[in-house]
Amino acid sequence: MTDRRRINGPVGATFPPVFVYEGEDAVKETKKTRSRPPNAIRKMYLKTGVTPSASGSAYLEIETSAKGSGSGLKLSCTVHGPRSLPRSTPFSPHIILSTHVKYAPFATRQRRGYLRDSTERDLGTHLETALRGAIIADRWPKSGVDIIISIIEGDQDRESSKAEGDESWDMMNALSGCITVASAALADAGIDCVDTVAGGVAALVRNAADDSVSNIVIDPVPSEHEKILAACCIAYLPTRDEVTNLWFKGDLGASDMELYTSLVEKGIQASKYANRVLVECLGETVG
Amino acid sequence: MSSQHVLLSPAELSYLHASLSLQPLPLRPDGRSPTQFRPLVAETGILPGTNGSARICFADGTEAIVGVKAEVERTVQPFTQDTQTTQDEGETPAEDERRKEEVGGSDWVEMTVEIPGYRDDDPTTVFLGQMLQEALLADGEFTKRLRINGRFHWKIYLDILLISPPLSYPLPLLSLTTHLALLSARLPRLKSEGDEDPLFDDDWAASTYVYPRDNNKKDGKDGNNKVVARPPVTLLVMAVGNNIIFDPAREELAVADVALAVSVGEETTTTTTQTGGDDDVDMEEGSTPGKRRLRLLSVRTIDPPSRLTPPGVPNATNTAYTAPTGTAEAKTQDGARTLETERVEGVWKAPRGGAKVMVMAALVAKVLEKGGVADEVLDGLEAVDLG
Amino acid sequence: MAQPTMAIPGQLLGPASKYQPGPGTHIHEANLYSSLLGTVNVTQPPKAPAPVKRLNKIVPVAAPTPAELPTISVSFSAKSKREVLPEVNNIVLCRVLRITPRQAVVAILICGETVLEAEWQGLIRVQDVRATEKDRVKIYESFRPGDIVRAEVISLGDQANYYLSTAKNELGVIMATSEAGNTMIPISWKEYRDPETGISELRKVAKPY
Repeated sequence: MTDRRRINGPVGATFPPVFVYEGEDAVKETKKTRSRPPNAIRKMYLKTGVTPSASGSAYLEIETSAKGSGSGLKLSCTVHGPRSLPRSTPFSPHIILSTHVKYAPFATRQRRGYLRDSTERDLGTHLETALRGAIIADRWPKSGVDIIISIIEGDQDRESSKAEGDESWDMMNALSGCITVASAALADAGIDCVDTVAGGVAALVRNAADDSVSNIVIDPVPSEHEKILAACCIAYLPTRDEVTNLWFKGDLGASDMELYTSLVEKGIQASKYANRVLVECLGETVG
Repeated sequence: MSSQHVLLSPAELSYLHASLSLQPLPLRPDGRSPTQFRPLVAETGILPGTNGSARICFADGTEAIVGVKAEVERTVQPFTQDTQTTQDEGETPAEDERRKEEVGGSDWVEMTVEIPGYRDDDPTTVFLGQMLQEALLADGEFTKRLRINGRFHWKIYLDILLISPPLSYPLPLLSLTTHLALLSARLPRLKSEGDEDPLFDDDWAASTYVYPRDNNKKDGKDGNNKVVARPPVTLLVMAVGNNIIFDPAREELAVADVALAVSVGEETTTTTTQTGGDDDVDMEEGSTPGKRRLRLLSVRTIDPPSRLTPPGVPNATNTAYTAPTGTAEAKTQDGARTLETERVEGVWKAPRGGAKVMVMAALVAKVLEKGGVADEVLDGLEAVDLG
Repeated sequence: MAQPTMAIPGQLLGPASKYQPGPGTHIHEANLYSSLLGTVNVTQPPKAPAPVKRLNKIVPVAAPTPAELPTISVSFSAKSKREVLPEVNNIVLCRVLRITPRQAVVAILICGETVLEAEWQGLIRVQDVRATEKDRVKIYESFRPGDIVRAEVISLGDQANYYLSTAKNELGVIMATSEAGNTMIPISWKEYRDPETGISELRKVAKPY
């Protein structure tokens, strides 16, 4: 799958060096813990209209999780269209949505190639499902719109090595950011939406290895917790009180249905917080 | 498959929607009950060149085969801070060892889905593959089985082929076929010990199952050995009105309000049978339906194709039908694409927005219900002869 | 009810029984919501609707005429470069790209008052060129590539083309160049003349306003 026309870096053979700290204390200190309360999301910055050449655009930044080290999430979204469909496409009474999510090659610890890999395509499908429910598709017959998201920085902790963190949990955070930023960019492009959709993540975490108690936090940062047992990412329409996309992953017993329900509820709560930022940002755009 | 066009008229869609949302029971086009699956034919061990294989053919003519291939691969030894410090200070090497044994990389499994008429990097194909893989890796039990020793592991390639055109959303079919293929998958017996280069027994008869079976227990009439653990299954479930419908056919999915793919696993039964002491536990774990302890592994929303269906035009706004005054009004409305109307009974309108939280929760609960559909499906799969 | 001056998608604008939905709004559960980011406008309906004409056609019991209700709409304001789509009954200006005996293929440039960003393709079929003597129409006697045509959208058409019609007096070619390359002037309902060479060419001429 690698692109032969470009000179690619070595394939997965190198690991970024991890430097030894001066003393024992310094090593201990790098073990991060969550400093926010369990029901608070990280601060985020959202701005629309950052790309003048696109029909609509938005930029989202989520603050760095840990002091000094990790990188926050930085997303840029451009919306192109509505524009006419290529000739080969059959007649469609609706707008055709196509979503592209791409990590920049330097966004994560492990370098990403230029071609979209399966996780990026997967994110794109999730995003499409989330947005399809929010837009009013029949307002734009025979046209297509491209939503392109570049993940400039991938919200990963630089200090933990590749083998430690599980990237699959990072995907959830990335998706929720993608949903929020795409929603802002769609509103900026003037494409009819039933509501402002925003993403939120909640996770069931265990904080210490020997701790049998697990609790639910919203907007989890994987490196701050010992183990994530389950997580869900929700795309939520606040005024309609509806969910357009739900992605749950983890391992829960069938008897733990209450846990699942409260996980979803917390996810919605996280999405409501993100929506507040979104509404404020859009208000600034008009005013 | 959401981009695929459903060739149904607004009137047909409206009729389908109405009949599927009938209370107390929906009227499905093929006469099934809401929880009934389409009848299927299944067989395992069909491909001699694989470690495990299965084929399932649904009554509607969709057919899938899955082949499992295993290769020995060197485990990448990451240079981490942990190993560095333990080497320096000789601190708890046993602890370190235990940790290493526990984890298995998620890249030890590679799953590819091939659907005729779709590119292999088509979003739908990737989505299906990721969904099945996610469920398989969710509990971390599977990758543990693939460990050979500290330096080597098995790499499993799961190749899923849909050999018929996709007449309906192929998720349940692919999931069930994968389940059976994994159950029948066998790996050669390891002869070497410890961390030395692995050496395997040539005798295929001595090979071990990836999903181990309990030799002491015979399972029902087929004389199969009872499988101790099972791979997950992914079920497709949708809601129309107040009804929950399982295994929807393509035309049913075309009017779905919401569709979910729910992956369900079975809790690993503890192999305490050898001691003979826990007889009562043993009895409980027997294949009595409803005694199975299910686990929820993943839930994904499927974009229902209903959002891309053509809307019907109510008589009130149909300019071809009403008095000519209507046309004059429509002309003044430049800018509004289609005239906004309230939902009219009997006129199809593609759903907008998402689904209520309660509906989604009800779907998941229905799947996990004791003695419910997931149980039934797993029972059905148990009856398949695993050659 | 006082209306907010601006709205974001999903904002409640009022009950559907009090307003008529205009552009940029949608109905959900008997309420009107905004579907765009922009400013809210309420336009009162024209006063005193004409007395109801005698019904000379059997019509089903029509919905209560919503004409008395004020129309509420949200107009996208931020950059005023929002794309618009040609719609049925819109008057569009387009350039003829190529002609065949059956049809003229055109590129739609302006829809109503708005210059379009994207290129949309349209089709004027031979039977839609004029209202009378349709069977005598020849495309090459009506349009030539490069002409600017005023036309009406009659259908969203097929996958690629909008179907346009010039079957009205005020529709047709509004600007044309001669074979010599000069801008021509209309001299009759079916002729343009080159002022320099004096040669006239056949066109479906739009009646000047």
